[in-house]
Amino acid sequence: MSSYYDIDDIMMEDEFVSVVFQVAANGVGLLDPGAETNCVEQGSKVELPFWLSHELQLRQAVSVNIPACFNQKTRKEIQADAACVDLRNRCPYFYELGCKIAPLVGDRTIGSFLLYAFTGRYKEVLSKAHSAAIAVAPKFLTLFTKEETHLYEAARSSMAAFKKWRLGGPRFERASILGRKRKPND
Amino acid sequence: MAGQSDPHLSIFSAEEVEFIAEDEMMEIVPNMKMDPLNLICGDFGPFRPQIATEVPLWLAVALKKRGKCTIRPPQWMSVEKLTQILEAERESPREFHPLPFHYVEISRLLFDHARDDIPDVYMVRSLIEDIRDVRFHKVETGLETISARTHAVKLKNLSAMEVNIVRPFIVRALQAFYKHDSPQMIPQPDTIGNRPPQVADRGPRVRAKSHMPLGTLADTL
Repeated sequence: MSSYYDIDDIMMEDEFVSVVFQVAANGVGLLDPGAETNCVEQGSKVELPFWLSHELQLRQAVSVNIPACFNQKTRKEIQADAACVDLRNRCPYFYELGCKIAPLVGDRTIGSFLLYAFTGRYKEVLSKAHSAAIAVAPKFLTLFTKEETHLYEAARSSMAAFKKWRLGGPRFERASILGRKRKPND
Repeated sequence: MAGQSDPHLSIFSAEEVEFIAEDEMMEIVPNMKMDPLNLICGDFGPFRPQIATEVPLWLAVALKKRGKCTIRPPQWMSVEKLTQILEAERESPREFHPLPFHYVEISRLLFDHARDDIPDVYMVRSLIEDIRDVRFHKVETGLETISARTHAVKLKNLSAMEVNIVRPFIVRALQAFYKHDSPQMIPQPDTIGNRPPQVADRGPRVRAKSHMPLGTLADTL
Protein backbone atom coordinates (compact mmCIF):
# COMPACT_ATOMS: atom_id res chain seq x y z
CA MET A 1 0.00 0.00 0.00
CA SER A 2 2.85 2.37 0.66
CA SER A 3 4.63 3.97 -2.23
CA TYR A 4 7.54 6.31 -2.66
CA TYR A 5 5.32 9.38 -2.87
CA ASP A 6 2.88 8.36 -0.16
CA ILE A 7 2.87 11.30 2.26
CA ASP A 8 1.70 9.15 5.14
CA ASP A 9 4.56 6.75 4.55
CA ILE A 10 7.03 9.64 4.62
CA MET A 11 5.55 11.11 7.79
CA MET A 12 5.52 7.73 9.43
CA GLU A 13 9.26 7.31 8.86
CA ASP A 14 9.77 10.53 10.81
CA GLU A 15 8.48 8.96 14.01
CA PHE A 16 11.14 8.78 16.70
CA VAL A 17 12.31 5.45 18.04
CA SER A 18 14.91 4.96 20.70
CA VAL A 19 18.11 3.18 19.70
CA VAL A 20 21.31 2.13 21.45
CA PHE A 21 24.54 2.86 19.66
CA GLN A 22 26.68 -0.25 19.25
CA VAL A 23 29.72 1.74 18.14
CA ALA A 24 31.08 5.13 19.01
CA ALA A 25 30.34 7.68 16.31
CA ASN A 26 32.43 10.77 15.72
CA GLY A 27 31.05 14.08 14.49
CA VAL A 28 27.38 13.34 15.08
CA GLY A 29 27.04 14.92 18.51
CA LEU A 30 23.89 16.73 17.49
CA LEU A 31 22.03 13.42 17.49
CA ASP A 32 22.54 13.09 21.24
CA PRO A 33 21.47 16.22 23.13
CA GLY A 34 23.27 15.02 26.27
CA ALA A 35 26.65 14.60 24.61
CA GLU A 36 29.39 16.91 25.78
CA THR A 37 31.70 16.37 22.86
CA ASN A 38 30.86 16.14 19.19
CA CYS A 39 30.54 12.39 19.24
CA VAL A 40 28.15 9.69 20.45
CA GLU A 41 29.59 7.18 22.89
CA GLN A 42 29.16 3.46 22.46
CA GLY A 43 26.13 2.20 24.39
CA SER A 44 24.39 5.56 24.65
CA LYS A 45 20.63 5.68 24.18
CA VAL A 46 19.45 8.15 21.55
CA GLU A 47 16.11 8.98 19.94
CA LEU A 48 16.37 8.87 16.16
CA PRO A 49 13.81 9.08 13.38
CA PHE A 50 12.76 5.72 12.08
CA TRP A 51 14.33 6.13 8.65
CA LEU A 52 17.73 6.88 10.17
CA SER A 53 17.62 4.11 12.75
CA HIS A 54 16.62 1.65 10.05
CA GLU A 55 19.60 2.54 7.90
CA LEU A 56 21.99 2.51 10.86
CA GLN A 57 20.69 -0.82 12.00
CA LEU A 58 21.34 -2.32 8.57
CA ARG A 59 24.98 -1.25 9.07
CA GLN A 60 24.90 -2.72 12.59
CA ALA A 61 25.75 0.64 14.15
CA VAL A 62 22.72 0.71 16.42
CA SER A 63 20.18 -1.66 17.91
CA VAL A 64 16.54 -0.60 17.93
CA ASN A 65 14.42 -0.74 21.08
CA ILE A 66 10.74 -1.49 20.96
CA PRO A 67 8.85 1.84 20.97
CA ALA A 68 6.75 2.69 23.96
CA CYS A 69 3.46 2.25 22.10
CA PHE A 70 4.12 -1.50 21.80
CA ASN A 71 5.09 -2.08 25.43
CA GLN A 72 3.28 -4.26 27.93
CA LYS A 73 1.35 -1.35 29.43
CA THR A 74 -0.24 -0.42 26.12
CA ARG A 75 -0.97 -4.06 25.40
CA LYS A 76 -2.80 -4.41 28.70
CA GLU A 77 -4.84 -1.30 27.98
CA ILE A 78 -5.73 -2.53 24.51
CA GLN A 79 -6.82 -5.83 25.98
CA ALA A 80 -8.99 -4.04 28.52
CA ASP A 81 -10.83 -1.79 26.08
CA ALA A 82 -9.28 -1.36 22.67
CA ALA A 83 -11.59 1.43 21.56
CA CYS A 84 -10.84 3.80 24.45
CA VAL A 85 -7.05 3.85 24.18
CA ASP A 86 -5.72 7.15 22.89
CA LEU A 87 -3.41 5.68 20.26
CA ARG A 88 -3.05 8.91 18.31
CA ASN A 89 -1.34 10.50 21.29
CA ARG A 90 1.10 7.61 21.59
CA CYS A 91 1.86 7.21 17.92
CA PRO A 92 -0.32 8.53 15.09
CA TYR A 93 1.15 5.92 12.75
CA PHE A 94 0.69 3.08 15.19
CA TYR A 95 -0.10 0.34 12.64
CA GLU A 96 2.31 1.44 9.94
CA LEU A 97 5.19 1.83 12.39
CA GLY A 98 4.32 -1.50 13.94
CA CYS A 99 4.49 -3.26 10.59
CA LYS A 100 7.87 -1.75 9.79
CA ILE A 101 9.45 -2.11 13.19
CA ALA A 102 8.46 -5.70 13.88
CA PRO A 103 11.20 -7.20 11.68
CA LEU A 104 13.79 -4.75 13.04
CA VAL A 105 13.33 -5.58 16.70
CA GLY A 106 12.64 -9.24 16.01
CA ASP A 107 9.50 -9.26 18.14
CA ARG A 108 7.07 -11.72 16.59
CA THR A 109 4.20 -10.79 18.87
CA ILE A 110 3.84 -7.26 17.46
CA GLY A 111 2.05 -8.51 14.37
CA SER A 112 -0.69 -10.31 16.22
CA PHE A 113 -0.94 -7.44 18.69
CA LEU A 114 -1.57 -5.02 15.80
CA LEU A 115 -4.22 -7.30 14.36
CA TYR A 116 -5.85 -7.65 17.76
CA ALA A 117 -5.86 -3.89 18.31
CA PHE A 118 -7.24 -3.18 14.85
CA THR A 119 -9.98 -5.79 15.13
CA GLY A 120 -11.07 -4.29 18.44
CA ARG A 121 -11.02 -0.72 17.25
CA TYR A 122 -12.52 -1.45 13.82
CA LYS A 123 -15.96 -2.01 15.33
CA GLU A 124 -15.75 1.34 17.06
CA VAL A 125 -14.87 3.09 13.81
CA LEU A 126 -17.66 1.29 11.99
CA SER A 127 -20.36 2.05 14.52
CA LYS A 128 -19.62 5.74 14.35
CA ALA A 129 -18.61 6.22 10.76
CA HIS A 130 -21.91 6.08 8.88
CA SER A 131 -24.13 7.63 11.50
CA ALA A 132 -22.11 10.59 12.71
CA ALA A 133 -23.49 14.06 12.24
CA ILE A 134 -21.98 15.87 9.32
CA ALA A 135 -20.80 19.24 10.58
CA VAL A 136 -19.57 18.46 14.08
CA ALA A 137 -16.00 17.25 14.58
CA PRO A 138 -16.61 14.46 17.06
CA LYS A 139 -14.60 13.95 20.21
CA PHE A 140 -13.69 10.34 19.61
CA LEU A 141 -11.87 11.33 16.45
CA THR A 142 -8.95 12.45 18.60
CA LEU A 143 -8.39 8.86 19.71
CA PHE A 144 -8.01 7.42 16.22
CA THR A 145 -4.71 6.83 14.52
CA LYS A 146 -4.11 7.99 10.96
CA GLU A 147 -5.25 4.74 9.41
CA GLU A 148 -8.44 4.68 11.45
CA THR A 149 -9.12 8.30 10.61
CA HIS A 150 -8.80 7.51 6.91
CA LEU A 151 -11.24 4.65 7.31
CA TYR A 152 -13.67 6.84 9.21
CA GLU A 153 -13.37 9.63 6.65
CA ALA A 154 -14.00 7.23 3.77
CA ALA A 155 -17.30 6.19 5.26
CA ARG A 156 -18.34 9.62 6.45
CA SER A 157 -17.64 11.41 3.20
CA SER A 158 -19.46 8.87 1.04
CA MET A 159 -22.47 9.04 3.36
CA ALA A 160 -22.38 12.84 3.28
CA ALA A 161 -22.18 12.83 -0.52
CA PHE A 162 -25.17 10.53 -0.70
CA LYS A 163 -27.22 12.72 1.65
CA LYS A 164 -26.34 15.76 -0.38
CA TRP A 165 -27.43 14.02 -3.57
CA ARG A 166 -30.68 12.85 -2.01
CA LEU A 167 -31.66 16.29 -0.81
CA GLY A 168 -31.10 17.59 -4.29
CA GLY A 169 -30.41 21.19 -5.03
CA PRO A 170 -29.51 22.82 -8.29
CA ARG A 171 -28.72 20.11 -10.82
CA PHE A 172 -27.15 22.30 -13.42
CA GLU A 173 -24.94 25.16 -12.48
CA ARG A 174 -25.35 28.17 -14.66
CA ALA A 175 -22.09 29.46 -16.02
CA SER A 176 -21.44 32.91 -14.62
CA ILE A 177 -20.80 34.31 -18.07
CA LEU A 178 -24.36 33.55 -19.22
CA GLY A 179 -26.99 36.19 -18.75
CA ARG A 180 -24.48 38.96 -18.54
CA LYS A 181 -25.21 41.78 -20.90
CA ARG A 182 -22.67 42.72 -23.47
CA LYS A 183 -21.23 46.15 -23.30
CA PRO A 184 -22.41 48.31 -26.18
CA ASN A 185 -18.88 48.87 -27.48
CA ASP A 186 -18.14 45.11 -27.87
CA MET B 1 -15.08 1.05 -15.38
CA ALA B 2 -14.36 3.71 -12.84
CA GLY B 3 -15.95 6.94 -11.86
CA GLN B 4 -14.64 10.19 -13.21
CA SER B 5 -15.09 12.32 -10.11
CA ASP B 6 -12.01 11.13 -8.29
CA PRO B 7 -9.18 9.62 -10.34
CA HIS B 8 -7.39 8.10 -7.34
CA LEU B 9 -10.09 6.17 -5.56
CA SER B 10 -11.94 4.75 -8.58
CA ILE B 11 -15.30 5.29 -6.96
CA PHE B 12 -18.52 6.66 -8.38
CA SER B 13 -20.16 9.78 -7.14
CA ALA B 14 -23.87 9.70 -6.45
CA GLU B 15 -24.46 11.75 -9.61
CA GLU B 16 -22.58 9.21 -11.71
CA VAL B 17 -24.65 6.37 -10.32
CA GLU B 18 -27.75 8.38 -11.13
CA PHE B 19 -26.46 8.84 -14.67
CA ILE B 20 -26.11 5.08 -15.07
CA ALA B 21 -29.59 4.57 -13.68
CA GLU B 22 -31.07 6.85 -16.32
CA ASP B 23 -30.66 4.05 -18.87
CA GLU B 24 -33.31 1.93 -17.14
CA MET B 25 -36.44 1.47 -19.24
CA MET B 26 -39.62 3.19 -18.16
CA GLU B 27 -43.16 3.09 -19.51
CA ILE B 28 -44.65 6.38 -20.61
CA VAL B 29 -47.98 7.46 -22.07
CA PRO B 30 -47.36 10.22 -24.61
CA ASN B 31 -49.94 12.90 -25.29
CA MET B 32 -48.49 13.88 -28.66
CA LYS B 33 -47.84 12.26 -32.01
CA MET B 34 -44.21 11.79 -32.99
CA ASP B 35 -42.25 9.54 -35.32
CA PRO B 36 -39.91 6.92 -33.84
CA LEU B 37 -36.62 8.23 -32.46
CA ASN B 38 -33.64 6.40 -33.94
CA LEU B 39 -30.83 6.98 -31.47
CA ILE B 40 -27.45 5.32 -31.04
CA CYS B 41 -28.70 3.60 -27.89
CA GLY B 42 -31.76 2.21 -29.68
CA ASP B 43 -35.02 3.02 -31.44
CA PHE B 44 -37.89 4.34 -29.35
CA GLY B 45 -41.45 5.03 -30.30
CA PRO B 46 -43.48 5.64 -32.40
CA PHE B 47 -45.30 7.96 -30.04
CA ARG B 48 -49.10 8.08 -30.33
CA PRO B 49 -51.41 9.80 -27.85
CA GLN B 50 -52.64 7.46 -25.07
CA ILE B 51 -50.63 4.49 -26.41
CA ALA B 52 -48.03 3.42 -23.87
CA THR B 53 -44.44 2.87 -25.00
CA GLU B 54 -41.10 2.06 -23.40
CA VAL B 55 -38.29 4.61 -23.31
CA PRO B 56 -35.17 5.09 -21.16
CA LEU B 57 -35.64 7.07 -17.99
CA TRP B 58 -33.65 10.05 -19.25
CA LEU B 59 -35.93 10.36 -22.28
CA ALA B 60 -39.01 9.93 -20.12
CA VAL B 61 -37.84 12.72 -17.83
CA ALA B 62 -37.01 14.97 -20.77
CA LEU B 63 -40.46 14.45 -22.33
CA LYS B 64 -42.15 14.87 -18.96
CA LYS B 65 -40.38 18.17 -18.38
CA ARG B 66 -41.86 19.46 -21.64
CA GLY B 67 -45.31 18.16 -20.71
CA LYS B 68 -45.37 15.66 -23.56
CA CYS B 69 -46.15 12.53 -21.57
CA THR B 70 -47.09 11.01 -18.25
CA ILE B 71 -44.76 8.45 -16.70
CA ARG B 72 -46.22 5.17 -15.50
CA PRO B 73 -44.46 4.38 -12.23
CA PRO B 74 -42.91 0.89 -12.18
CA GLN B 75 -44.84 -2.00 -10.64
CA TRP B 76 -42.82 -2.11 -7.44
CA MET B 77 -43.54 1.55 -6.74
CA SER B 78 -46.96 1.04 -5.24
CA VAL B 79 -47.97 1.24 -1.61
CA GLU B 80 -48.99 -2.44 -1.35
CA LYS B 81 -45.80 -3.74 -2.99
CA LEU B 82 -43.55 -1.49 -0.93
CA THR B 83 -45.32 -2.39 2.32
CA GLN B 84 -44.75 -6.05 1.51
CA ILE B 85 -41.11 -5.40 0.78
CA LEU B 86 -40.64 -3.43 3.98
CA GLU B 87 -42.16 -6.24 6.01
CA ALA B 88 -39.99 -8.80 4.25
CA GLU B 89 -36.90 -6.70 4.94
CA ARG B 90 -37.76 -6.43 8.61
CA GLU B 91 -38.49 -10.12 8.95
CA SER B 92 -35.20 -11.38 7.53
CA PRO B 93 -32.33 -9.76 9.42
CA ARG B 94 -29.59 -11.25 7.25
CA GLU B 95 -31.01 -11.28 3.74
CA PHE B 96 -31.85 -8.49 1.35
CA HIS B 97 -35.10 -8.56 -0.54
CA PRO B 98 -34.63 -8.36 -4.33
CA LEU B 99 -35.37 -4.86 -5.53
CA PRO B 100 -34.45 -3.15 -8.81
CA PHE B 101 -30.72 -2.49 -8.92
CA HIS B 102 -31.32 1.24 -9.25
CA TYR B 103 -34.39 1.65 -7.04
CA VAL B 104 -32.89 4.53 -5.02
CA GLU B 105 -32.01 6.57 -8.10
CA ILE B 106 -35.20 5.79 -10.04
CA SER B 107 -37.39 6.78 -7.11
CA ARG B 108 -35.44 9.97 -6.57
CA LEU B 109 -35.75 10.95 -10.26
CA LEU B 110 -39.45 10.19 -10.36
CA PHE B 111 -40.10 12.10 -7.14
CA ASP B 112 -38.26 15.07 -8.58
CA HIS B 113 -39.84 15.17 -12.01
CA ALA B 114 -43.06 13.17 -12.02
CA ARG B 115 -44.66 13.64 -8.61
CA ASP B 116 -48.14 13.98 -10.11
CA ASP B 117 -47.89 10.60 -11.88
CA ILE B 118 -47.25 8.59 -8.70
CA PRO B 119 -50.33 7.68 -6.66
CA ASP B 120 -49.89 8.28 -2.89
CA VAL B 121 -46.56 9.95 -3.47
CA TYR B 122 -45.94 10.84 0.18
CA MET B 123 -46.66 7.34 1.36
CA VAL B 124 -44.51 5.80 -1.37
CA ARG B 125 -41.69 8.15 -0.58
CA SER B 126 -41.64 7.45 3.13
CA LEU B 127 -41.89 3.71 2.49
CA ILE B 128 -38.87 3.80 0.22
CA GLU B 129 -36.95 5.80 2.80
CA ASP B 130 -37.88 3.23 5.46
CA ILE B 131 -36.81 0.34 3.24
CA ARG B 132 -33.50 2.02 2.55
CA ASP B 133 -32.89 2.65 6.25
CA VAL B 134 -33.69 -0.93 7.21
CA ARG B 135 -31.41 -2.26 4.49
CA PHE B 136 -28.57 0.05 5.39
CA HIS B 137 -28.81 -0.95 9.03
CA LYS B 138 -28.45 -4.56 7.87
CA VAL B 139 -25.35 -3.64 5.90
CA GLU B 140 -23.83 -2.03 8.96
CA THR B 141 -24.50 -4.99 11.22
CA GLY B 142 -23.09 -7.21 8.50
CA LEU B 143 -19.91 -5.16 8.32
CA GLU B 144 -19.30 -5.82 12.01
CA THR B 145 -18.53 -9.41 11.16
CA ILE B 146 -15.60 -8.48 8.92
CA SER B 147 -12.47 -9.82 10.52
CA ALA B 148 -8.98 -10.88 9.60
CA ARG B 149 -10.27 -14.05 7.93
CA THR B 150 -12.57 -12.13 5.59
CA HIS B 151 -11.09 -12.26 2.11
CA ALA B 152 -14.13 -10.99 0.25
CA VAL B 153 -17.57 -9.66 1.01
CA LYS B 154 -20.51 -11.09 -0.85
CA LEU B 155 -23.45 -8.71 -1.07
CA LYS B 156 -26.46 -10.26 -2.77
CA ASN B 157 -29.35 -8.08 -3.93
CA LEU B 158 -27.76 -4.87 -2.73
CA SER B 159 -28.58 -1.95 -4.98
CA ALA B 160 -26.15 0.29 -6.86
CA MET B 161 -26.44 3.26 -4.55
CA GLU B 162 -26.17 1.17 -1.40
CA VAL B 163 -23.04 -0.52 -2.70
CA ASN B 164 -21.68 2.86 -3.67
CA ILE B 165 -22.08 4.26 -0.16
CA VAL B 166 -20.22 1.49 1.60
CA ARG B 167 -17.61 0.80 -1.07
CA PRO B 168 -14.85 3.16 0.15
CA PHE B 169 -15.19 1.94 3.71
CA ILE B 170 -15.27 -1.77 2.86
CA VAL B 171 -12.32 -1.57 0.50
CA ARG B 172 -10.19 0.23 3.08
CA ALA B 173 -11.23 -2.05 5.89
CA LEU B 174 -10.47 -5.17 3.87
CA GLN B 175 -7.11 -3.77 2.83
CA ALA B 176 -6.21 -3.00 6.44
CA PHE B 177 -7.22 -6.44 7.65
CA TYR B 178 -5.34 -8.02 4.76
CA LYS B 179 -2.21 -6.08 5.65
CA HIS B 180 -2.34 -6.93 9.34
CA ASP B 181 -3.07 -10.58 8.70
CA SER B 182 -0.33 -11.09 6.11
CA PRO B 183 1.98 -14.04 6.74
CA GLN B 184 4.97 -11.74 7.29
CA MET B 185 3.23 -10.04 10.19
CA ILE B 186 1.67 -13.12 11.75
CA PRO B 187 4.30 -15.86 11.71
CA GLN B 188 2.10 -18.91 12.46
CA PRO B 189 -1.43 -18.24 11.29
CA ASP B 190 -2.66 -21.56 12.61
CA THR B 191 -2.02 -20.69 16.23
CA ILE B 192 -4.42 -17.77 16.21
CA GLY B 193 -7.49 -19.90 15.80
CA ASN B 194 -8.07 -23.29 14.31
CA ARG B 195 -10.76 -22.10 11.99
CA PRO B 196 -11.45 -23.81 8.69
CA PRO B 197 -10.38 -21.84 5.61
CA GLN B 198 -13.98 -21.35 4.56
CA VAL B 199 -15.65 -19.48 7.38
CA ALA B 200 -19.38 -20.05 7.31
CA ASP B 201 -20.40 -16.69 8.77
CA ARG B 202 -18.75 -14.00 6.73
CA GLY B 203 -21.07 -11.08 6.84
CA PRO B 204 -24.17 -10.43 4.82
CA ARG B 205 -24.62 -12.47 1.68
CA VAL B 206 -25.07 -9.68 -0.73
CA ARG B 207 -23.89 -10.00 -4.29
CA ALA B 208 -23.00 -6.86 -6.12
CA LYS B 209 -23.67 -6.84 -9.83
CA SER B 210 -20.67 -8.10 -11.65
CA HIS B 211 -19.84 -4.76 -13.23
CA MET B 212 -19.64 -2.99 -9.88
CA PRO B 213 -17.13 -5.01 -7.87
CA LEU B 214 -16.75 -4.11 -4.24
CA GLY B 215 -13.10 -4.91 -4.15
CA THR B 216 -11.98 -8.43 -3.65
CA LEU B 217 -8.82 -9.45 -1.96
CA ALA B 218 -7.09 -12.74 -2.30
CA ASP B 219 -7.16 -15.08 0.62
CA THR B 220 -4.03 -14.89 2.67
CA LEU B 221 -3.90 -18.62 3.22
